[in-house]
Amino acid sequence: MPKKRLLLFLFIILSLGLMTYQSKKEYFVPLRFLNNTLTNLHRIVNSVRDTATSPFKRMFIREEENTRLKTELRRLLEEQQKYQETLLENRRLNELLSLKERKHGYVTTARVVSRGADQWSNTFVLDKGYSDGVTKDMTAITSKGLVGKIIQVSTSSSSLLLLTDLNFSAAVRLQESRREGILAGTGLRRCQLKYIPPDEEVKQGVAVITSGLDSLFPQGLPVGYVSKVEKKGTGLFQNIEVTPFQDNAEVEEVAIITR
Amino acid sequence: MTYILWIGIILFTFFIEERISIFNVAPNFTALLVYYAGIRKGALEGLFLGSVIGAVEDSLSGAFLGSNLLSKGIVGYFSSLMSGSFFRWTPLLGAIGIGVLTLVDNSIVFATRSFFDRMPTGIKAAALKIVIQSLINAPLGLFLRPKDTQKTG
Repeated sequence: MPKKRLLLFLFIILSLGLMTYQSKKEYFVPLRFLNNTLTNLHRIVNSVRDTATSPFKRMFIREEENTRLKTELRRLLEEQQKYQETLLENRRLNELLSLKERKHGYVTTARVVSRGADQWSNTFVLDKGYSDGVTKDMTAITSKGLVGKIIQVSTSSSSLLLLTDLNFSAAVRLQESRREGILAGTGLRRCQLKYIPPDEEVKQGVAVITSGLDSLFPQGLPVGYVSKVEKKGTGLFQNIEVTPFQDNAEVEEVAIITR
Repeated sequence: MTYILWIGIILFTFFIEERISIFNVAPNFTALLVYYAGIRKGALEGLFLGSVIGAVEDSLSGAFLGSNLLSKGIVGYFSSLMSGSFFRWTPLLGAIGIGVLTLVDNSIVFATRSFFDRMPTGIKAAALKIVIQSLINAPLGLFLRPKDTQKTG
């Protein structure tokens, strides 16, 4: 056997051996420190870009923002009046039932620095880490709803697993019928709602919220809406597709909360 | 100096990969880099550089060490076939070659990670990613030529 082919053969055997060993024991990650280098590089580039573009952005946005805020203010004043009665009633009922108003434990707000280095997972790198109080399994949300959970934390950055990732799952319920299920990522843009029996009537457009039963995510966080329902054959469960309220491509900042 | 240049290029490639995406798929420019090393420097150098880049990629991804190391090493080794030792290089062959090698690279990573760890993504998403990354890389194969090839046209 020529020398080159022998080397290739040995290389393949060694690689497979290495992977077999790691699958039984622990992972080797020899160059993990490079992650911080790349994160810092992203941070510098983002900062330079922001400095260069922010004056122009502000100029264009200011006028538009001003008009929008005026309209918003008028609408909010009207709505405030309308909801005042409901709020007071709600408070009274809560007191009667001795229910504590649930508070989401806000930890910090983090900025998305880049996509995760792992091309196969749907992850983001955030600019906050241990030093900002972020720990593993914390929840990331935006004003639209759930974005994902923290899976890895270093001193000044962390990795966020998006809810569209194949390895993501959360206990959820359909908002209208209160039926519980498990939301799982598909690796694509949409998620799958599992374990809903075929006798349950699920309409398109129904909102899906977290149930809190997984002891991981706070209860009642908006997740997405049902975009497709299939009752195929005699399967045990329906095939339900959920579109997240928060599109991954639009996420720039997230709020990190704890249960 | 050459080594520093290579380190800079490798880091820059990872940096670029993390910043851009096409149809929500990050490109696989590291395969291009390994392919280039293979056709320029030969099979063993391609194998060596491929395994180094693969090891870095494995470390950055947080997954176990080995899948990218193996796939990139193989890409580095077999890309040397395009430089005249097996095929006579033409721009079209270059494009097909890099497309196929990117496909092989991704398939090995997906297969080994599914086998030795857990499936990193769904079959459908993986197929989409593999095809898009190959299509992105293929046109660049027109320009990455072996050292001793005369420019045509």
